[in-house]
Amino acid sequence: MNLQNLSIKRKLMLITMLTSSVALVLSSVSFLIYDLMSFRRQLSQDLMTQAEIIGFNSGAAMAFKDEAAATATLSALKAKDDIVAAALYSPEGKMFAHYFQADKTLPSSLDAGSQQSGYRFEGGYLRVLQQVKMNGERVGTLYLLSDMRQWNLRAKRYTSIIVIVVLICGSLALLLSSRLQKLISKPILHLEDTMRMVSSNKNYEIRATRFYGDEIGRLIDGFNTMLSEIQLRDTALQRANNELQTSTHELEVEIIHRKRTQDELLTAKQAAEQANRAKSAFLANMSHELRTPLNAIIGYSEMLEEEVQDIGKISNVRDLQKIQAAGKHLLALINDVLDLSKIEAGKMQLHIEMFDIASMIEEMVTTLKPAIAKNANAFQLHVPENLGTMRGDVTKVRQILLNLLSNACKFTDHGTVSLDVDRMTTAGQEWIQFRVSDTGIGISTEQQENLFQEFTQADISISRKYGGTGLGLAISHRFVQLMKGRIMVESTPGQGAVFTVHLPVQAAAEQPESSRSGQTVSSEAAPQVTANADTILVIDDDLAVRDLMSRSLTKMGFRVVAAAGGEEGLRLAKQLRPLVITLDVIMPDWDGWTVLNKLKADSDLAEIPVIMVTIVDNEAMGRDLGASSYLIKPVDRERLVALIEKHRAARFSTVAKTGVPPANWSSRSQRSSRKPEVVGPRRH
Amino acid sequence: MPKILLVEDNEMNRDMLSRRLERKGYRVVLAQDGRQGYLLAHSERPDLILMDLSLPVMDGWEVTRLLKGNGSTSHIPIIVLTAHALLSDRAKAFDAGCDDYDTKPVEFGRLSEKIENLLVVRKES
Repeated sequence: MNLQNLSIKRKLMLITMLTSSVALVLSSVSFLIYDLMSFRRQLSQDLMTQAEIIGFNSGAAMAFKDEAAATATLSALKAKDDIVAAALYSPEGKMFAHYFQADKTLPSSLDAGSQQSGYRFEGGYLRVLQQVKMNGERVGTLYLLSDMRQWNLRAKRYTSIIVIVVLICGSLALLLSSRLQKLISKPILHLEDTMRMVSSNKNYEIRATRFYGDEIGRLIDGFNTMLSEIQLRDTALQRANNELQTSTHELEVEIIHRKRTQDELLTAKQAAEQANRAKSAFLANMSHELRTPLNAIIGYSEMLEEEVQDIGKISNVRDLQKIQAAGKHLLALINDVLDLSKIEAGKMQLHIEMFDIASMIEEMVTTLKPAIAKNANAFQLHVPENLGTMRGDVTKVRQILLNLLSNACKFTDHGTVSLDVDRMTTAGQEWIQFRVSDTGIGISTEQQENLFQEFTQADISISRKYGGTGLGLAISHRFVQLMKGRIMVESTPGQGAVFTVHLPVQAAAEQPESSRSGQTVSSEAAPQVTANADTILVIDDDLAVRDLMSRSLTKMGFRVVAAAGGEEGLRLAKQLRPLVITLDVIMPDWDGWTVLNKLKADSDLAEIPVIMVTIVDNEAMGRDLGASSYLIKPVDRERLVALIEKHRAARFSTVAKTGVPPANWSSRSQRSSRKPEVVGPRRH
Repeated sequence: MPKILLVEDNEMNRDMLSRRLERKGYRVVLAQDGRQGYLLAHSERPDLILMDLSLPVMDGWEVTRLLKGNGSTSHIPIIVLTAHALLSDRAKAFDAGCDDYDTKPVEFGRLSEKIENLLVVRKES
């Protein structure tokens, strides 16, 4: 194991142990060496002293060559265990007497040079030479050999003691260090634990405990502070996250809410459009229902006037003329309403033809003369000589000019009304400009804003004073729009008003009817999309059902085409592109499911709504194959009609969106006069 | 004295128009519906027919088409009268073969001019 990767605890213990052991061993060994050395020196001193004493004692023996006395003196050394051999040599170097313990011997002669006093350690033995003197005269040499037994013993004992002491001290150090290392390692280990807990649980609320005020304590403090910071940020992040989630959720709810609102709005819009068309149709119907009695009123009063004039009762003539005038006024109002409702229903069509502008104006001015004369106004007409012709709806151009001029006459008293006509070219297009100006009461800026809106006269009081529906300008405006022209007004209150109308010399080219000059545009000439917008295709093998459906739907104003079989039905569907197809299921050749499949597979026909009308109760099958609705025989006629009306409304709204005018929106009375067309083999 | 067949289902209009025409000196034959008008056109041989469009039993377009398609009646000028102000009605009327067209309420002066014109044309031819 790598030393560096040891745990702190072990490292600390290792360091302590190593340090203390080294110190202990070093000090013990130096003490031992010192002790042993001084003990050896002491031993050698002792032996020297011993040698001196023995030398002194054996001096006489040596001087007198008394061998026995010398040997006796040496024998006294038996008491000394460590002196293993002793010998006395004559001054010539010859051994004189000796004492040998066991097998140790000494050389039998000594060199004269080596007879100096002194000691020498040699091969584990201590050798001491001592000159033996007698009265100051050298008489011999003493040689002592010690095996230093005491020193060896001491060395062995001391070594064992040191080993024991080191072991004991080491154990103690281990014990202490294992206890004391906790001072450092415990907070660090705790810090580590805390850190691991925080990172694994992502719980930033945990705090490390501070044990002591040392560097680790400060480290822990720092760590805790850092944790607090992180916790704060984490909480903030969490809160932001929650807020984000909440707002995302709110947004989702909002989106759903808006979508719902949008759907509701769309439905409401469709309903409103439907209602508006119904209203316009109602107005159109009402208008000509009103015209019939009005026709009688005007006609009878004219007739009476003629008869009364024959008799000569002038006073009655006046009254009758008033009735006529009122009737004609009412008729004009009704015509305005009818015009407007036709525009609103999208039914107003342009009857485009080439006409001479000057003669149209001349004719119109004739009609206008009574109006000019009424308020004693002067009329000025400026028409350039070579004005030429234009292509457009002459009736509508005339009506626009009549509206503007009769307004000018109405609001001008003893003044001047003028009409200026000219050709002009802007943006590469040729225009005819009509300017109607007067010196009448004028129109304020605020009033100009709503001037072309329906039913808003410049001022309520004006309608009381001057009469009129307030529709004239709105209708003129719509007509001008229809002809892709422009209408503008300038006025200074009290000084009069100028209305300027620009109409293209060539009526808009995209009108399909424009290529056929002078022809009336009828619903039959309209594009195919609208041509069969009222056609219902009934596919049923039962003649009775076909007749019944034809009769009831024709009564509702639809054109009904019937087919007795699937094949024929499919062919007619391709040919007619009906508004709605009603389809029976049980039929001899192809059954209804086959026909439905084929209808939905044809991209041209797939859009046509199919209403299943059958005795088979399998609505799911019908829906799966793409049927729009499912009716079980006997058919609830009202429900069928409601469904068809719904599809027609949907079709009209799409037609309106794509910009093709729903030109075929005919009135009831007109539709009811149509003959049903029943196609198919009739079994009479 | 020219004879005019007036085909009109509205009683008031019929009465009024016939009286005014009579005052002008025309002989007037009246029919209340399309079928009657068709039959009277054959039996009475009028010099001119005033034809309303919205008629019961058989409508004005149908009668006009039939009369103009029949060799014995095709020469009789027909003026179609209608309360409808729609251009498509006018186109339909001309398609059916009428000679002239006028909208109701009738402006009698204008109508009698149209009648005179057609009668003159007929006399000339």
